[in-house]
Formats: sequence, structure tokens, C-alpha cells
Amino acid sequence: MAGIVVKGRFPRRRVVQVVATNVFRYLFQGAARNWIRNIGSTTPALGSMTLLLLMLGLIGLSGFALYNLERIEAAQASLLHVYMRDGVASADVDTLWDWLANDPRVASVGYTTKAQALVRAQRMPGLTQLADATDSNPFPASLDVQVKNIDDIAVIDSMVRNDVAVDPIYPTSYDRGAYQRIQAVLFGVAVAGFAFLSLLGFVAVTVTMNSIRAAIHSRRDEVTIMQLVGAPRWMVRGPFVVEGAITGGLAGAAAGLVTFALAMAGIAAGSGSFTRFAPGVTVVVAALAATIVFATGLGLGSGTSLVSVRRHLES
Amino acid sequence: MRSIVEFIGVTRAYGSRLALDDVHLALEPGELAFLVGPSGAGKSTLLKLINREIRPTTGEVWVDGIAAHKLKASRVAELRRRVGVVFQDYKLLPRLTAKENVALALQVGDLRVSDEEASERALDALDAVGLGDRGNAFPHQLSGGQQQRVAVARAVVAQPPLLIADEPTGNLDVDTAWEMMDLFGDIAAFGTAVLIATHNVEIVKRLQRRVLTLVHGRLVRDQPAGRTGRLAWLASS
Repeated sequence: MAGIVVKGRFPRRRVVQVVATNVFRYLFQGAARNWIRNIGSTTPALGSMTLLLLMLGLIGLSGFALYNLERIEAAQASLLHVYMRDGVASADVDTLWDWLANDPRVASVGYTTKAQALVRAQRMPGLTQLADATDSNPFPASLDVQVKNIDDIAVIDSMVRNDVAVDPIYPTSYDRGAYQRIQAVLFGVAVAGFAFLSLLGFVAVTVTMNSIRAAIHSRRDEVTIMQLVGAPRWMVRGPFVVEGAITGGLAGAAAGLVTFALAMAGIAAGSGSFTRFAPGVTVVVAALAATIVFATGLGLGSGTSLVSVRRHLES
Repeated sequence: MRSIVEFIGVTRAYGSRLALDDVHLALEPGELAFLVGPSGAGKSTLLKLINREIRPTTGEVWVDGIAAHKLKASRVAELRRRVGVVFQDYKLLPRLTAKENVALALQVGDLRVSDEEASERALDALDAVGLGDRGNAFPHQLSGGQQQRVAVARAVVAQPPLLIADEPTGNLDVDTAWEMMDLFGDIAAFGTAVLIATHNVEIVKRLQRRVLTLVHGRLVRDQPAGRTGRLAWLASS
């Protein structure tokens, strides 16, 4: 009778399972045990990294809000109102309109009548009383010119301000340097934030590297023995990198949670005012910021450890 | 027959000082040799060159067919898995039991070795060195001689073709030292080349094995000898 050869699949699975178990034990379990054992020397690194990541999260969210604010300001600044002289002939307005519409630097041109200007003013805080105070309409008609590049707005302004259709006393809404002042302030804030984060980052990286160096020195004998019995390099270095990742991950998780909580508290505290001061910051953005903070913590912790291990642990 | 260890014109300098000077030697499988000489003669340097803890300044070091003199750092572990090492201070991990210390050497060398297999082979090795009943003891619960036996079990559990020992009897009493030498003899009898650096002249004289004498880094004498001993667990595995 012919026999049937049954080829068992278990042994291969078994090998994979054994390898996975051993890798987990020597890389992750050992790292977790050592991390707990060295908690005393790790605490300063954990604290400084948490602070760094929290600042990163908050400054990042603030930066995002300021970026959105700058975009809004830029859009407003690139809109030039060219005020029409009272009693201007419609042909002159049409000529100016056509001239502007055909300029390649101009994105679009619209026309606001005196009546529309009055209605718009009546909706604006502070101008309502002024609009209602006089019998006649003091607000001029205007051509609303959307300039493609904000840097061209000064040129457009100088081109139109002497036109016959334009009010000679108050020709345009152009405020030389207003947008530049906003940009300068934002640039200053960005530089200060970057410098602060760099300083904090340097401190956190240094403290973390020192804690890993201390861990290496405290386990010098263990490392030597592992090397002498033929442990591969990843098995000797890996646990230290995982330890760094644990520190960074915990710091990132804590900082991410606080970042998210503060952003949510800000959103909940007053959506109107918050939207005005932090445009674009939503629940999704806050969650994304918290995730980035966590991932940065993981990367910073493991990366810093890797550098420290490469520097202090020869094979 | 290919030599397990071969030194070809090996010189090792530390700054301007020569620790080893133009050393030529070969060690065959199953050979037990003593490396003797005064302090600072270069014994430890020679052992470190075999284990690729250091590289020679000039010359070639071959270990079981591997060119240790030009071995990249990333491949050092591969060489060390072929060399069992025993030290004067045992170098056992204090947080692991005797059995776990021995099993560690198996599993770091081959991740496919399961816990059960590693445990079984570790107990066999401990049994062979006379410590079959102390597998669950931690190093601090063992005497110096017992710790050194655990270190020997760890060094040979993966059956490397070469065992090197640096002053293995330095911390042991006379009787225990002789027991250790019997053990090394048994290991050599089953085909493992054994190289022992020692100051113990009494042992060297009475065992009548090959003796390599280093003085000021130069191999000044190479005295041949015979072999003896048995070790059942090596034969069965």
C-alpha cells in the first residue's frame, strides 16, 4: 500500500516563533527591565524631553495659527481699494477698470458703489455711528483691485493714484509698510521660537545622551560579556536604543496629551475669540499636533540613544 | 589539517612599545597549549588578538579560517561565536542563574535556539563540569571554583573549535585549579583547541602539554607535548 508523506508546517512556524520570542526578550524585554532599573538616572532626561516636546507642541500650534493669520493678512493686504473721485464720469471709471483688468499683475477688479460702501461701513464695528451721523453718504465708490503678488501693490498704487478718476485727497487704501510690519513681527516671533526650541532641544539631547552614557557605564560588564559570547551588534546596542525610545515615547505621549488638552481647552473656552487669535486650529489639527509630538519624542529618544551608543560603545 | 589558530609575523604595538613582536604560531584542533611568560610579556595581547578585541599592527591572525586581522567590526560577533573564552574573574552575569548564563551564550549566537533546547543543553554542559545540580543558583551563591566551572560550561556549550582562557586558575585554590585543568584536558580530548595563559608553573610542568613562552613580546620557546582526558557530553552531542 502506498503511503502518504505528510509534510509538516509546524517546524518552520516554530522557528519563526522562537526567533521572535528571543528577539523580543533580548531587545524589548531587556530594555524595559533596564529602563525601570535605571529610572533614577533617566528621570532628568524624561523631564527635559517632556518639557521640550510640550514647548514644541505649543509653539508648533501657535506657529500654525500665526501662519494662517499671516495668510489672512496677506490676502487682505493684497486687496487695493482705489477710491473714486465724487462726480467722476463713468467713462473714466471704465477706462481705469479696463486698464487695471488688463494688467498682468492684477488678479481681478471689482466695483463698489457709494451705496455699497455705506452698507459695508455700517456693518463694521466703530464705523456704524459715523455712517449714520451724516445725511449724505461720506463713503466713496471704489475699484477693488486684487493684486496677484503683494510685492506689486506699491507699483499699482503709484500708477493709479494720479488718474483723473481717482480721489486726489484719499486715492487708495494702500498703507505703506503695514503688511511688512506684520511680517517683521511674525518673523521675530518665529526666530525667537526657533531659538528657544533649539536651546531646549540641545539641553534635552545632551541630558538624554548623558543618561544613556550612564546606563552604558553602569552595564559595562554586561555589555562586555554579551560581546564576548558573540552577541551581534544589534543585540548589544539595540536595548539601549529601545530604552531611549521608551524615554522619548513616554515624554512624547505626556507632552502630546497636554498639548491636545490645552488646545481643546482653548477651543472650548471661547470659539469666537479663539478663532480670531488662532485661525485654523481645530480638533483635527490639535490631534495631529499631539501625534507629531509623540512621534518626535520616539524619534528623538531613539536617535539620541543611537548616537550615544555609537559614541560610547565600541564593538 | 587546517590550524584553528595561526599567527603569521604578528606584531602589536601600543604607541612605541611592542607588546608582541613578529610572532609565528599555529594551534591544531584538539591541542591544549599553555601560554606562559612574565607579566607584560604579551600573553593577554595575544589572546585579545585571537578574540579580535584588538587588531595586529602588522601580520596576519587566522582563527578557524577567519582573517581576524582584517575583520570588520560588524562581523566580530561571527568570530567570537567560534571562540569560547574563560577569564580569571569569571565574568558571569549576576542577575542570571548558572543555567541562564550558559544558555545565554547559545541563544545570542543562534536565535533559533528555543528556551527548552537552550535550557537542556545548558544543563548538559553544567552536568559535564560537575554542576548539574546547581543550575538554578545565582553566581553569588556559588564558590569561585564553581563560578569558573559555569564560565567553562558557557564557553564550550556551543561547541566552539577553540577555547582560550586567561589566567583561569588565578582566583582558585590548588585543588580546584587541578580540577579545572582536568576539565580543560577533557575538552581538548574531544577536538577543541585550548589555549591557556597562566602563571601557574606547577601546573604547566606537571601536565606536560605544549608550552609557548613569551618574553618581551617575542615567542622565545615552543615546547611540544601530548594529550589526555575525556568528556562524555561532548562525545554524545
